[in-house]
Amino acid sequence: MLMIAKVALGLGATLALATAYTFHEGVIRVDVDESRQGGSHVHLWFPATTVSAGLRLAPKHYLSHAAEQARPYLPVLREVAKELQKYPNAEFVDVTDSRDHVHIAMVNGKLHVDAVSDSEDVHIVIPAETLGDVAARLEDAAPGI
Amino acid sequence: MGHCHREFLRFASVLAFAAVSLAPAALLAQTSTAKTDQWIHVRVESKDNKGEVVRVNVPIEMAEKVLPAINKDGLHNGKVRIDSAHMEDVDVRALLDAIRTSKDGEYVTVQSNENDVRVAKSGGYLYIHVTDRSGEKHSDAKASTAKGTPAKEEKVEIKVPMKVVDALFSAGKDELDVLAALRALAATGDIELVTVKDSENTVRVWIDSKNVAD
Repeated sequence: MLMIAKVALGLGATLALATAYTFHEGVIRVDVDESRQGGSHVHLWFPATTVSAGLRLAPKHYLSHAAEQARPYLPVLREVAKELQKYPNAEFVDVTDSRDHVHIAMVNGKLHVDAVSDSEDVHIVIPAETLGDVAARLEDAAPGI
Repeated sequence: MGHCHREFLRFASVLAFAAVSLAPAALLAQTSTAKTDQWIHVRVESKDNKGEVVRVNVPIEMAEKVLPAINKDGLHNGKVRIDSAHMEDVDVRALLDAIRTSKDGEYVTVQSNENDVRVAKSGGYLYIHVTDRSGEKHSDAKASTAKGTPAKEEKVEIKVPMKVVDALFSAGKDELDVLAALRALAATGDIELVTVKDSENTVRVWIDSKNVAD
């Protein structure tokens, strides 16, 4: 009985640690809703750590190709990601008219991009830290930037 | 209690004392850093049926860091290349140099039925005020057929610290040093830089330490 309790405690602690690690960077959220008939509805929630881990595990040639494509924008992405972390709560862009609304802001260290229009709603939430990670990984894969 | 233990306690107490003594200084430093955070705000309001409102807020420090990373078209390392052909043979640098070294005063005053233009320098600031009434005449003509048409007057008011102008033109010939201008702007306090008002739009560009627009 004592042995089972010890095993359960070990498993529980491992699970708790794994969960804490998985979610330590936060969650990436992508919601897309098209209001037309038969329009798509995409709702994705996944731990930001999976992006960083995925970039580490991705085959190098794929990453190099992606980095090559994104090369002109990587220095900007790196700087923006670095700077965004200094402003955990701030509103950057807000465009409103009678039909559309675009809002870009940092809320609790996460970049929120919301675009709402008559035809579709798009909401994206991504931790600034993850953006920095992506920029760093891609830069590593495309040396010379 | 061994010698090592006593030494450790002494070291820990010194560390704790240092932490307590330095905490207010660190807090003060943090407060002053936060206080110097300047934001550049742009607000465009359209008075047409759509009622479009654009609000952009950018920390100057962020712009300073990101700008040199953008290298596209005419923008390189925070400098914009300007085509001297578009300056219509006006030596802007010499013009600004003349303004900078001159005493405060009104340099240009034009008053006509269609336009009022005023260029002045006062207290380290360059003021450019333009009132364009050329659209008013057309609207007056239309007003005879449609009453209640708003007067089409356009007002542009620009106030720029001379230090920013200097910084902007501090690069080589045919170049504007936007990065240097941003740095100079960051050193300026709260300021209303540009106001444009006409019957259709209102544009405001200003700097303050708030991270949201009014």
